[in-house]
Amino acid sequence: MGDILIFLTLLALGYGFGQYAEKKHYRSLIEREQILNGLPAIASRIPPADVFYDQQLVIGNVVISVDYFKRFLAALRNLFGGRVTSYETLLDRARREALLRMKEQAQSMGAKLVFNVKYETSSISKGRKNAIGSVEILAYGTALIPPRNG
Amino acid sequence: MRYRNPSIPEGINTSKVHPLREFALRSLGALVLIGVLALTLGYFGGQLSRWLVSVETEARWGESLREKFEETETPLPLRSYLDSLDARIEAVMPLPAGMHVKLLYNADDTVNAFATLGGTIILYRGLLEKIPHENALAMLIAHEMAHAESRDPIVSIGSAIGIQTAVSLLLSGTDAAPLQDAGLFTQLAFSRDMEQAADLAALQALEAIYGHVNGAVDLFRVIQSERRDGGNGEPPAFLSTHPLDAKRIETIKRIARERGWQRGQPTTPLPAQFRAWLNIKVGSPPERE
Repeated sequence: MGDILIFLTLLALGYGFGQYAEKKHYRSLIEREQILNGLPAIASRIPPADVFYDQQLVIGNVVISVDYFKRFLAALRNLFGGRVTSYETLLDRARREALLRMKEQAQSMGAKLVFNVKYETSSISKGRKNAIGSVEILAYGTALIPPRNG
Repeated sequence: MRYRNPSIPEGINTSKVHPLREFALRSLGALVLIGVLALTLGYFGGQLSRWLVSVETEARWGESLREKFEETETPLPLRSYLDSLDARIEAVMPLPAGMHVKLLYNADDTVNAFATLGGTIILYRGLLEKIPHENALAMLIAHEMAHAESRDPIVSIGSAIGIQTAVSLLLSGTDAAPLQDAGLFTQLAFSRDMEQAADLAALQALEAIYGHVNGAVDLFRVIQSERRDGGNGEPPAFLSTHPLDAKRIETIKRIARERGWQRGQPTTPLPAQFRAWLNIKVGSPPERE
């Protein structure tokens, strides 16, 4: 009986905090994406040839961990298969946050564009699946900074 | 060339499913799945073990368990009294061929009694001290003997293995370990059924011996008050291995009424020295032959 109570409490806490954090994060993401919309991040490897830009590596990374509720939902998916919807929003947020951090760095350098943008992801929980459920998302690219004084 | 990042509509990388809805659907589905598999494997595991393990084999296993539980030598008068009760009950409750009931007495304070493999029944002093009259004691022994008679201990083990298999088949390697409790509840349900069947068989035996079943419920009143005194009241019905005491007493009364087994006869007292026998200090455990 005690076990079930602990389990339900953890689920409720995971759900409560997880949902609150997610809503708050999405609001912040949308707001910052609009602000940084003037600084495009482009996947193309070939930079524009019209101007000679300074080039700088910019990176943004995020480490996310899954809450108890989402993890349990995903575990149920092991039984039935199908979309692991509980992880979709989590990873969506992580990708967008990583890209934003990269762009923020580029903006602080006065960049006009970020080229050759790529994502990397690595799981920190390797080998300790039940202890840690964390993933790193890394976004990096080449910031093109217009040369000062022509 | 102009480079732009168009603003992407929200929600194209995520599914529009409310997490609570997802949770309710999935966990319900998982519980049903585990429940059905646990019931099936538990049932077949129990029946299979009854079929695979012969009464003789079970008796051999029971023999080796006896050494574990019989820590104290039974005071002689108590031994002969228990044996005579045993014989009277066995006379009206035929056991499977090859099974011999062995009543073991343990001088521990535990308020309990149970039947295990091979007709081995363990009675603790803690419970015997609280028994008010012979009818209640006969009810207790007959109840445990009924478990032995229907081979409940071996069936329980078999169904436990079956249920465990079901649970680990579905849940091993997942994070959904809390769902394992579904298997546990199945197990409890099986054992509640056995308890009810044993109660009925014991009542039949009492009726055959004494011509009435008066006093049978007193056994469960003892257990009920013991539980209350222990400070931890009865667990919720679905978490209990046994039917709830109050419900059990009701059921026994109803059966007695329906079958006309309640005729107002007085209960048979225990031998005058019964409690004194329980307190006889006896030396080391008996030597095994």
